[in-house]
Amino acid sequence: MNMSVSNPLAGDDVLPAELRELLNSPDGAAFEQALDVMVRQREQRLFRALGQLARDLHNAVRRLGGELSQDGLPDMVADARQHLQEALEMSGNAAHRSIDFAERMLPQADELANNAGEVLKWTEGNEAAAILARHALEFATDCRDGLSDLMLAQSWQDLTGQRIKKVSSFIGTVESSMLELVRLTGALAGSEVPVSVERVTSQEDADRLLSEFGF
Amino acid sequence: MKILVVDDFSTMRRIVRNLLVELGFSSALIQEADDGESALTMLRAQSFDLVVTDWNMPNMTGIDLLRAIRAEGALKALPVLMVTAENNRDQIIAAAQAGVNGYVVKPFTAVTLKEKLTKIFERIAASGASA
Repeated sequence: MNMSVSNPLAGDDVLPAELRELLNSPDGAAFEQALDVMVRQREQRLFRALGQLARDLHNAVRRLGGELSQDGLPDMVADARQHLQEALEMSGNAAHRSIDFAERMLPQADELANNAGEVLKWTEGNEAAAILARHALEFATDCRDGLSDLMLAQSWQDLTGQRIKKVSSFIGTVESSMLELVRLTGALAGSEVPVSVERVTSQEDADRLLSEFGF
Repeated sequence: MKILVVDDFSTMRRIVRNLLVELGFSSALIQEADDGESALTMLRAQSFDLVVTDWNMPNMTGIDLLRAIRAEGALKALPVLMVTAENNRDQIIAAAQAGVNGYVVKPFTAVTLKEKLTKIFERIAASGASA
């Protein structure tokens, strides 16, 4: 199997040919030396790729840190949470108002139904009064059912409210993860970084640190 | 019949209370708690005949409340009806295994609530008669 095809880090076409030549050579020392050269070259490519990755990551987090420190992540998250809390309260109040209305009207509908029922008993010979009483009874019964449905329908507030609470808690998780990421890379300007975490605040610092590893 | 309605949403507690009243239960005998923890305190302090509880609540969830009720000698026979938006299979199984007496999925209707409550009381009456 030719590794140089599948492995992007092993792009040197000269070395395998040399290696093939050396494999047939009786000189063991030369073979080992050639092998060392090949391994070192591959290591350097790997380190360069890792170095590039580290720089990209550092830049991305530094940008994030800059944006967050400029707008103030804790304030942004607190605002977002506050908005959700307000939405929760507003929807709760609206639902309570609807239930208030249903609770106020239900006994009236009951009373109207009862009264219409009573009146209906005394309408013999008076068709007009009987029709009115029957209509009143039907209307009161329909109102009763409708008000009961209206009250039950307010359970939307509980169902949407539970989702709002979940989003609010998710925002909290995202906030702590982002802060942790920024803290670990030391990129949040002006923030306190624990002594255990080495502070890297600038591209210069990052470059210096990376250069210590040979990048 | 003394009933404890447990839900962190005051709207839902009110809805359940109204439905119970509509089904003929006395409003004066219905009490409310906003999470499992306060419900458990109330259950220990006074006797109830039925608990209607939500699942998702802060401090102590409905399933933890159910388990606590079943684990406590004085409360373990208390009928518990779960009224919850949690309708995935695992959660329903967990509730059944914890000893729930009925399970109503939100949003629900008065008819469903009545049906489940009737079933609960029928089973209790049957087990009481056979005991």
